[in-house]
Amino acid sequence: MKKISLSIIITVCLLLMIGACVSEHNEKDMVPPTIEDSEDCYPQQCQSFFRGEVIPVRCLFTDDNELGNYNIEVHNNFDHHTHSTVAGECEMEEKKSPVNPWVYNKDYHIPEGQTAYQANLEISIPTDIDTGNYHFVIRLTDATGWQQIKSVSISIK
Amino acid sequence: MNKYVWTVLLVAWPWMSYAQTDTLKDETLQEITIYGNSTERQVQMKSAQPVVDISQQFIETHLGGSLMQSLSFIPGVKAMTIGSGESKPAIRGLGFNRTAVTENGIKHEGQQWGEDHGLEISQMDIDRIEIIKGPSALLVGSDAIGGVINIYSNDIPERKLEGKVKTFYHSNNASVGGALRLGGIGEKGFYWKAAFSGNSYGDYRVPTDSIQYYSYYIQLKDGRLRNTAGHELDGSVMVGYQGKNLSSSLRISNTNGKSGFFANAHGLEVRLSDIDYDAHRRDVDLPFHRVNHLKVMNHTDWRIASWRMSSDLSFQNNVREEQSEPVSHGYMPQPDNALERRFNKNTYTVLVSAKKMIANNHTLNIGTSMEHQHNKRDGWGFIIPDFRNLTTGLYVHDRWYINQQLSLSGGVRYDWTRTHIYPYQDWYETFGEYKQRSEDRILTFNSVTWSIGANYNAEKWSVKSNIGKGFRTPIPKELGTDGVNYHIFRYEVGNADLDPEESYQLDANFCWTGTRLTVKVDPFLNYFSNYIYMNPTSEYYEGLQVYNYTQAKVVRWGVEVQASYKWIKQLESELTGEYLYARLASGDKKGYTLPFSQPWNVSFTTTYKPWEESFLSVTGQYTGKQTEIVPPEKPTDGYFLLNASLGHCFHFKGKEHQALSLSLQAQNLLNRRYYDHTSYYRLIGVPEAGRNFSLTASYNF
Repeated sequence: MKKISLSIIITVCLLLMIGACVSEHNEKDMVPPTIEDSEDCYPQQCQSFFRGEVIPVRCLFTDDNELGNYNIEVHNNFDHHTHSTVAGECEMEEKKSPVNPWVYNKDYHIPEGQTAYQANLEISIPTDIDTGNYHFVIRLTDATGWQQIKSVSISIK
Repeated sequence: MNKYVWTVLLVAWPWMSYAQTDTLKDETLQEITIYGNSTERQVQMKSAQPVVDISQQFIETHLGGSLMQSLSFIPGVKAMTIGSGESKPAIRGLGFNRTAVTENGIKHEGQQWGEDHGLEISQMDIDRIEIIKGPSALLVGSDAIGGVINIYSNDIPERKLEGKVKTFYHSNNASVGGALRLGGIGEKGFYWKAAFSGNSYGDYRVPTDSIQYYSYYIQLKDGRLRNTAGHELDGSVMVGYQGKNLSSSLRISNTNGKSGFFANAHGLEVRLSDIDYDAHRRDVDLPFHRVNHLKVMNHTDWRIASWRMSSDLSFQNNVREEQSEPVSHGYMPQPDNALERRFNKNTYTVLVSAKKMIANNHTLNIGTSMEHQHNKRDGWGFIIPDFRNLTTGLYVHDRWYINQQLSLSGGVRYDWTRTHIYPYQDWYETFGEYKQRSEDRILTFNSVTWSIGANYNAEKWSVKSNIGKGFRTPIPKELGTDGVNYHIFRYEVGNADLDPEESYQLDANFCWTGTRLTVKVDPFLNYFSNYIYMNPTSEYYEGLQVYNYTQAKVVRWGVEVQASYKWIKQLESELTGEYLYARLASGDKKGYTLPFSQPWNVSFTTTYKPWEESFLSVTGQYTGKQTEIVPPEKPTDGYFLLNASLGHCFHFKGKEHQALSLSLQAQNLLNRRYYDHTSYYRLIGVPEAGRNFSLTASYNF
């Protein structure tokens, strides 16, 4: 009987001790990075461009700890599947099937150790692509692996 | 050896040393196999691990939209929900392939790895359930790391003709359903059973008029989560023979269900469509999934001298498909059909075991198992490769009844697995190349697992403890994927060098049963030497964030507490609570918790029974805030819920087997808007269902 009680006490104490020693606080990064959401971030929702032009990408990325990498992706929205993350409807063209749609998908590296980074890119629009509604998607990670996504609707004329 | 393993051994030692010093008494004990009316003590003495027995009646009085939702009131058991009609189990925070489900001893095999997969077992066709919290590799093999949910649907009828008719209605999603179960014993030991059930539900209602996801507002019509309707149709037949030296049964069952996914987001991806989802609340449009699960099972018991032999043979076919509106993604052009994913899995299982009573106080159990799986994929979205899996296992287990109070149990098991992963190549070009997403690979794995436990049972209290090792063979998705998951915006990279996951767990159970007060405490301590998880990195590949499958040490501990107090004969209160702690103890994400970590919760129930067959019960439940998260999760606020239920069972004079039960349940009475941290829809900010009233009527004859 006594031995049993002793066993219980030992078990409970050890469980508590282990719990206490593994729950020590260490600084974890719990905050995703941010993509600036203001009038200074380009391209903007519903912005129009012409074939052969460049799309200037100007946007400020920040993170409380350390930024990771980012990716720019452009794909057509001829079927109006709209997964933009920015509210507000843009003027849409008629639905159509893609013939030679523009696909742009490129990963960009941010130098190590940065907590703020100003993206400054010029993306050339090919001259032979289908015109119409496109999605312009910016994906950004921090060093831990948190991700932020910003997707805007643009049109190419 | 690692410090955690030492700690586990240290904690276990007092138990083992106690067992060794106790004096032996010559008492004969029969193996305890009483179900149904078993008392708490008998249940607790069945195994050295924490066991919960659930009757058919419990499921009826807690009837939710799916089996696991009905069982989620049990401390330590959780339902990971996908909408209102489907869910999958998690025991003490471990779900997916880390919790096994068996039906009549056969492991249920579907696509358990999937976030949007629900358990394909009808809750209307179950006799009883036994839940073992803790690694149960010894009898189940791989996967039962968190525990096992043993479902039994093979009770033998007692009369010439008996049956049950059941019908229910849930107000929130306008779910209507019914079930008919029939059975009878014939002459010379033959018997039969048959069941048929079905239900249909509409879009469920949430206490909000819009959902904000990213900076996008999704307006809801009448608070209905569009396209979450569904239906299910299940049936089974069973024939059997029960003789003195030979018993055998054959059971065939089929479950078939279809349900929609929330129309405005598939995974994490915001979607708008031309489909008029708000036209009808009961129809299912794209995206949706449907599943069919067919099971054929044979169980045979026979005697050879003093050995009690048993065998199980089974075949399972699981077909699951997901359809969604075809859209172009990255380099993938727009597909010409809606079939995004389809999996067809065939599983063959053979189990043979032999039991023998030795020296009147040992129950020796030797067994072997063999399972063959073949999984074939289809559709334009690649997420797992085709594979063939062969597993064989061999185990020996002994239960030693030292005296009426004390029993010891222990066993060891060996498993061997061969996994053949088939190659896969994209159907479209990326940079002018048809990319290979999976290579042809043959991998083999071995595992030795064991378990030692002790049960001690005094007059008013019982104590038990168990220490055991569990394992899980890596699944082909973890080993061989190199694929894109557009719904969660990630590129998932498998790792063929993964080792079988190994877990050591110490369980204890203290139970005190007084005349008024009953207290039960189940603490556990768990250590994984190589937990497999998908590690989010800062890298991109083909436009998607790279997630690598990797292994790390994990420490977990937790406790479930249950206390009930009888104020007077008619009035009883119950307090339950659970707490779970998990930490990655090595690797890139050291210090983080595990994905889908459930927060602590307490609930307080008071039940009033004015008459023997009537009850009125009110439950207040508080769930804590969850700030322990890993990417891409979000913290989830705590919440308070109020539930109530009342019921009555009518008996008819002179007809002892006939009874009519009526019950009314109310969930989320305050219509609180809350989020379930472990729900499939949590990440896109969809709250749980609002107020719901359920009416259930069943008639036994």
